[in-house]
Amino acid sequence: MNSKKYFALAKENGIDVCELSLSKDTSLNFEIFKGEVISYSVEFSKGISSRGIFNNKLGASFTEKDDKDTYMFLINAIKDSASLSETLDEAIIFKGSEKYKKKSTFSKKLAAWTVDEKLKICHEIEKKLIAADSRISDVEVMYSDSSSESEIINTYGLHLKSKSNYFTIYASIVVKEGAEIKSYYDLIFDNDPAKIDVDKFVKDIVEAGLRKLHGESIKAGSYKGVLSRNCVSSLLNAALSSAVAESVQKHTSVWEGKLNTKVFSEKLTIYEKPLANNFFYTYFDGEGVATYNKTVIEKGVLKTYFYNLVTAKKDNVASTGNGTKNGSKVGTSFGNIFVKPGRLSEEELIKKIGNGVYISDISGLHAGLDANSGNFSLQAEGFHVVDGKLGSPLTLFTVSGNIFELFNSVIAVGNNLKLLPSATFVPSIAFKGLKISAE
Amino acid sequence: MISKQLALDVINYATSTGADFAEIFYEDSTSKVITVENDKVDSVNSSNINGVGLRLLKGTKSVYGSTSDLSQKSLIALADTLAKYFEGKRVLEKITGFTKVPVKRIHKKYTSVFSVPTQDVIDYLKKATSIVKGYSAEVRKSNATMIMKESKIVIFNSDGKTYSDNKEYGRLALQSIAGNEKGIQAKFDGPGAQGGWEFFTNQLNIEELAKKHAEKLILMLHARECPSGKFPVVIGNGWGGVIFHEACGHQLEATSVAKGMSVFSGMKGEKIANECVTAYDDGSIPNEWGSNNLDDEGLKPRKNELIKDGILTGYLVDSFNGRRMNEPGNGCSRRQNYKFEPTSRMSNTYIANGKSTKEEIIAATKLGIYAVSFGGGSVDPSTGDFNFGCDEAYIIKDGKIGEPVRGATLVGNARDILKHIDMVGNDLAFGQGNCGSASGSVPVNVGQPTIRVDEIVVGGRGGSIDEF
Repeated sequence: MNSKKYFALAKENGIDVCELSLSKDTSLNFEIFKGEVISYSVEFSKGISSRGIFNNKLGASFTEKDDKDTYMFLINAIKDSASLSETLDEAIIFKGSEKYKKKSTFSKKLAAWTVDEKLKICHEIEKKLIAADSRISDVEVMYSDSSSESEIINTYGLHLKSKSNYFTIYASIVVKEGAEIKSYYDLIFDNDPAKIDVDKFVKDIVEAGLRKLHGESIKAGSYKGVLSRNCVSSLLNAALSSAVAESVQKHTSVWEGKLNTKVFSEKLTIYEKPLANNFFYTYFDGEGVATYNKTVIEKGVLKTYFYNLVTAKKDNVASTGNGTKNGSKVGTSFGNIFVKPGRLSEEELIKKIGNGVYISDISGLHAGLDANSGNFSLQAEGFHVVDGKLGSPLTLFTVSGNIFELFNSVIAVGNNLKLLPSATFVPSIAFKGLKISAE
Repeated sequence: MISKQLALDVINYATSTGADFAEIFYEDSTSKVITVENDKVDSVNSSNINGVGLRLLKGTKSVYGSTSDLSQKSLIALADTLAKYFEGKRVLEKITGFTKVPVKRIHKKYTSVFSVPTQDVIDYLKKATSIVKGYSAEVRKSNATMIMKESKIVIFNSDGKTYSDNKEYGRLALQSIAGNEKGIQAKFDGPGAQGGWEFFTNQLNIEELAKKHAEKLILMLHARECPSGKFPVVIGNGWGGVIFHEACGHQLEATSVAKGMSVFSGMKGEKIANECVTAYDDGSIPNEWGSNNLDDEGLKPRKNELIKDGILTGYLVDSFNGRRMNEPGNGCSRRQNYKFEPTSRMSNTYIANGKSTKEEIIAATKLGIYAVSFGGGSVDPSTGDFNFGCDEAYIIKDGKIGEPVRGATLVGNARDILKHIDMVGNDLAFGQGNCGSASGSVPVNVGQPTIRVDEIVVGGRGGSIDEF
C-alpha cells in the first residue's frame, strides 16, 4: 500500500483529509494432549483500514485485500459511509499531539524463542502435571503467541508506529475422586520466556485443583468475602466503563454528574497507566492522540472521564488518549488499570474477615453482569472462610450484587498485585455484603 | 480467489512429508453494518476479509495455517511451514485435478439485504428506534443495527474434491437503555436468519418487535429483583434453549468428547436426561440462522439426533476428532472464518416438542419463576458446571404468572440438570445467537418449547422466594 498514491487518489475523489491504519499480525498456537502435539497453527494477516472526511462527515472501511482494486474499494466505502451518516458528531482526523512518549516493549527474547524451546517447555509442564497426583485424570496444555505491528498515517503528515508481542501458556487439569469432577486452569502471560517457573506453575495448579475436591454447600445469605484478583479485575473493568464520556453524555452512565464526587470506597485509588512498561504499553490511541498516565479514582473520588477527540470536544476538554476506532465510529477504551495496593497479603485479608467466603473465580459475565446498571449475578467458585482461614471448597453457588455498591463496601485492599490478561494490575480485595445463593 | 492450479500445487506440496489429508479453505467475506441511534444514522461500515486456511492431518494430529496474502509465494511458504512439521515421507499420491462436488442450496430464494437500497434499510431501523424512543420518556437511548454478511467459500482437498458455497446472514440488533433516578436497565433483541430482506419485512413484524422490546425494557426497569434459592423454573420457549446449549450441547461436541474431556464422553446409550427430553442438532433447516448448505469441511449438514427419550444417542462429530472416536463426521464442522481451524460445533440445536401446553406447565407449578428472556451463558465441559443469565422473569404462585422480576443467573451441573427437566411443552421456537468456542464465533440457533426444571439454583438479588 502506497500511502501517497492512495491519499492523492482519495483527494481526486473528494476526500481531502484521510487516514490509513495498517496492521500486520502473526501468531502461533499449539495444543499438547497425552504427550503429543495434537494441533498446531500459524496465522499471518494484514489489515488495511482507512477513514476519511467526505462532505464534512467521517466515513471508514476495512479490507484484508491488497491489490489493484483496494484503493477504490476503500475510497468508495468511505464515501458511502460518510454520505449516509447523520451523526452530529464532528468529523475529526487528528493532526498529532505535541509530544509522544515512545519506547519499545517489543521483546526480542520472545521473538528469538524457537518453536522447539516452546514445545519443550509445554511438554515439560504437561508431563509434570500428569505425574503430580493420581487424581488428575486429564491435562491440556496450550501455547499461543502473537506479534503485532500497527501504523497510523494521515494526510496531515502524522505517522505513528508500534510493535508488540506476548505469549500465553494455558494449562488445565481435571481432577476426579469418586463421582466428584473438578477442573482448574491457570496461565502464564508474559513477553519474557526467562520468567517462566515451570515447577511453581505446576505446583500452584495442582494444589488449587485438588483443593477443590470434597466440596460442601453454602447456605444462602449475605457474607463478608475476599475476591481473588481475577474476580476484582472483571468487576472493576465493568464498573470503570461508566467513566466513558460517551455514556455520560448520552445519559446512560450512573456516573453522570459524579466527577469529583465519591463513587467508590475511600480505600480505593485507581490509575490508568498506558505508558507502564509492560506489553499493554501504548503511546498513542486509536485516533493517534498521545496517551498519558492518569488517576481515575483517588481515594474513592472520580477524577476523570475517559475521552476520545469527539467526546472531548463536546465537553470542551482535551482527549485523554482513550480513543479507539470502530469503523467510522470513534469509540473509547482503557487499559493498564492499576489499583493502588493496600498493606495486607491475601492470607491476611482472609484472616481479617474471620468468617465468610473466598471467591476464586466467577463466570457467566457476558450475560450475568450489566455494566450499565452495575447489577450482577454470576456463577462462582470458592471456599468457606472459617476463623480467618480457608475452609472447605464450595459446591455450585452464585454471587450477586451491584458493582457500584460493592466497590463502596471495601473492608481492605490486598497487596498481591499481578498483571492479568485483561490489562489490569490488581490485588485481591475484601468486601462486605456479598449475596450468595445456593442449594 | 486462488486458481485451481495454485490450489493443486499447494496441496501437493503440503502432502509431501506424510500428511494423510490436506485441505484449502478460501473465503472472501464482506460485511456491512448500519447503525441508527435514536433518530439518526450513527454509522455505516463496510469491511472485507479475504484469505486462505490450510489444514494438514496425519492420524490424530493436525497442523493449520492461515494467511491473507494469496500470492503463490506466500501460499507455498505456508505449505512449507506446515509440511515441515511432519518430517515424514509422502503417503498420499499427488493429485492431478479437482472434481467439483455439487452443493445443494437448502435455502428458499430471497432478496439479498445487500441489494436493498440502503435508505430502505435505514428507514426500517428508524421505524424500530422511533417506536422504542416514543414508548416512554424513560428510554434514554435506542440503537438499531442491521448486520449483514455475505461470504464466498471454496474448499479444495487432497481427495481431489472441490466445493463452493455462497452464504448470506442478516441480523437486526435492537439495543436500548432506559433509566430513572433509581437505576438503569438495558435490553437486547437480535433476530436473524439466512432469509434475506423477506425475513425482515415478511416474517418479522418490526413494529410488534420494537413495541414489545420497549414494553419489556420499561417493565424490567420497574421490576423487583429476582429471588434467589433453589426452586422450580419454567423456562420459556425459543431463547430458553440456551439451557440445553450450555448444559448439554457443548458437552456433546467432539472437540471435548474425543479427548475424554466431556462429562458425556463414552456415554452413548446411557440415560442422561429425563425421558421427556428428546433433542436434535439440525444444520439443514432452510433459511435458519444456524444452517449451512455444507459444513466447513465440505460435508452435508443433517439432522443429528442427540438424545432420544432421555438416552444419549449421538455426538456432534467433525472428521478430525471423529478419527479419535472412530466415527465419521456428521456435517457439523464449522469455523468463524478462514483464520480458524474447523471443529465440531452446534447449528440449530433444540429440545423437541413434548406433550404439555405452556398453560399446563405453569398451572402445575406451585411456586417458582417463569424465565422468558436470556442473555447467554457458559459451561466448563469437563465438569459440566454451567450458567446462563435470565433478564426477564415472573413469579409463579399457585399455578399463575404474577409479578415481574429482573436479573438472575441460573446455575447447575449438566450431569444433574437434564434429569430435572420434568415437563416439556409443545410450542418449539428458536432464538438466534453467536456461540463462541474453539473455532471462533459462529451463528447458532438455540431452541426449545416451554419446559420446566423442577429445581435449579437461581442467583437473584431479591432475597427468598417466600417473600414474594
